[in-house]
Amino acid sequence: MSSKAKAASAAPAQKTPLAARIFLGACALYLLVPFLTTLVYSLFVEWTDVLPSGFTLRNYAELFTNSTFWLSIGRTLVLCLVSVAITIVLLLLAMYVVVAVNRRLGRFMQFVCMIPYALQGVILSIGIISLYTGTGTILSNRMFMLFGAYTILVLPYIYQGIRNALNAIDANMLIQAAEMLGCGRFRAYVQVVLPNIVSGILVSSLLAESIVFGDFVLANNIAGTNYQNIQVFLQANMARSSGLSSAIVVIIFVVVAAVTAIVLKLQRSSQNR
Amino acid sequence: MAYIEFKGVVKRFGDNTVLDHIDFGVEKGDLVTLLGPSGCGKSTLLRCLSGLESVTEGRIVLDGRDITDVPASKRNIGMVFQQYSLFPNMTVEQNVAFGLRMKKVPAEKIQQKVADAIAMVELTGKEKAYPASLSGGQQQRAALARSIVTEPSVLLLDEPLSAIDAKLRKALQSRIREINQELGLTSIFVTHDQDEAMVMSDVIQLFHDGRIEQAGSPVDVYTKPVSEFAASFIGSYNQLDAAVFSEVTGAMVPAGHVVAIRPETIGIQKEAPAHTDGAYVVRGTVQDSTPRGNVLRYTVKTGPACLRVDVLFRSFHMFDKGDEVYLVLPEHDCLAIPESNAA
Repeated sequence: MSSKAKAASAAPAQKTPLAARIFLGACALYLLVPFLTTLVYSLFVEWTDVLPSGFTLRNYAELFTNSTFWLSIGRTLVLCLVSVAITIVLLLLAMYVVVAVNRRLGRFMQFVCMIPYALQGVILSIGIISLYTGTGTILSNRMFMLFGAYTILVLPYIYQGIRNALNAIDANMLIQAAEMLGCGRFRAYVQVVLPNIVSGILVSSLLAESIVFGDFVLANNIAGTNYQNIQVFLQANMARSSGLSSAIVVIIFVVVAAVTAIVLKLQRSSQNR
Repeated sequence: MAYIEFKGVVKRFGDNTVLDHIDFGVEKGDLVTLLGPSGCGKSTLLRCLSGLESVTEGRIVLDGRDITDVPASKRNIGMVFQQYSLFPNMTVEQNVAFGLRMKKVPAEKIQQKVADAIAMVELTGKEKAYPASLSGGQQQRAALARSIVTEPSVLLLDEPLSAIDAKLRKALQSRIREINQELGLTSIFVTHDQDEAMVMSDVIQLFHDGRIEQAGSPVDVYTKPVSEFAASFIGSYNQLDAAVFSEVTGAMVPAGHVVAIRPETIGIQKEAPAHTDGAYVVRGTVQDSTPRGNVLRYTVKTGPACLRVDVLFRSFHMFDKGDEVYLVLPEHDCLAIPESNAA
């Protein structure tokens, strides 16, 4: 095939139709409007006319010098990482049993993992508090209660991601192929299956991370100001200044976007391998 | 004593008996094909031998050692799966080396063995390629290299060519046969394709409903079917009831039998033959003719029967629909076989 012919055959795949681009642009703009409005609001003293007035970075300066703010950001990240990590490890172990030992347990796993969808945040938090408060165990610690609550909260999302990834690669068949080459089942799961589902795990953990980051009900009910996360910090500062609240929202958005970008980069590099 | 022995192997899934007292042996170095329709139990038997499936009853002995309860990873049996099952995150080279690493073979030996195995399946130059970038045929060859590189006691091939196009399948059939002979590997091949079984096997075990219907060399199984099922599955035998055969040819057949005649053994001609010794000659009318590659298949109506007749497809059409013809049926090719309700 000549280079001209190649270019001609490649062209339709590369060019997005104008109508599609306009539609995508409009959707993106629509989704960005609330964020842009909040950003503008956080950068000006007042916005009572068509255009805002009195540009200022005071809100950001105040936040960046506030140790409570940084601590709440840090706590939220720790909550995200620990609870998502616990869920991933538990689910990977459970899914090993489903994939390599007894496939009939798959339906049971699915049922168990779907239960949190039906749990309201208020019910979950009250249930956890009434069950563990005053037990004198490590689980009566509010921080550990939160880890446990978030582990339950993100369970369905991470389960779906891992299960779909396992189905996509026919994990059972890969384990059998590895077994025939002298590899034990668990080792095959770790060495052959897991590297092939990293991408699925990362995507589901991304979803879980955004859910934990955006949670207010569980954090407020279980830990409140004892272990203040960013949403509780936001709530506590909403009455003080709307500009400051807007700045907090913008920073939450930026942090979530940064975490998302990192995860997507990891996913791409895993796919490239 | 055979190299591999299946002794009364039974496999049940709940109430469903998939393998019903399988008894046979495989000689060392032979390529044995388990042939049969889907659901007849051939793949299950292969998986029982591999250790991926347990047996309900019976024993499996490999080279004098009872391996019935030995885990799959400890049996030193290689297996090529229908779906290739290459590890997607590993290159061809890493896939082939995987089994050697599991066996803790020294790194320098691994490199050499992997290169040899890749060369044997003619994949040199694709060592660094990931499975996703390979064609179906290349993936299957990589899977074959991965299975033979560990020098298994037995190589199992579970319909490895069924997802590959016809031309490439023929080439791979030959390559697998050559490799089997080069390495002197004892191999068990599962297929539902009787042509594939004919080309590849030393011995065919014909399966039907969890039992072995017939066993023997490809020629024996093809030319001497022992049952209606074997006759219908192997080749395209014409099968005539005793009464119909008697009406067509005037010959008598024992009760409870059908007569099976291979289409290519029947002669077809315009004029009545001068000599009819050792053959039945019947008149018929051509109903249809269908080109099938290098063979032309006629359907000829003769009395109450319709017979399929295969002749070499030459450059001209011999008979047209409606032509009156004479069919010559050699007596020794009219096989009386026991009737069965299972066919």
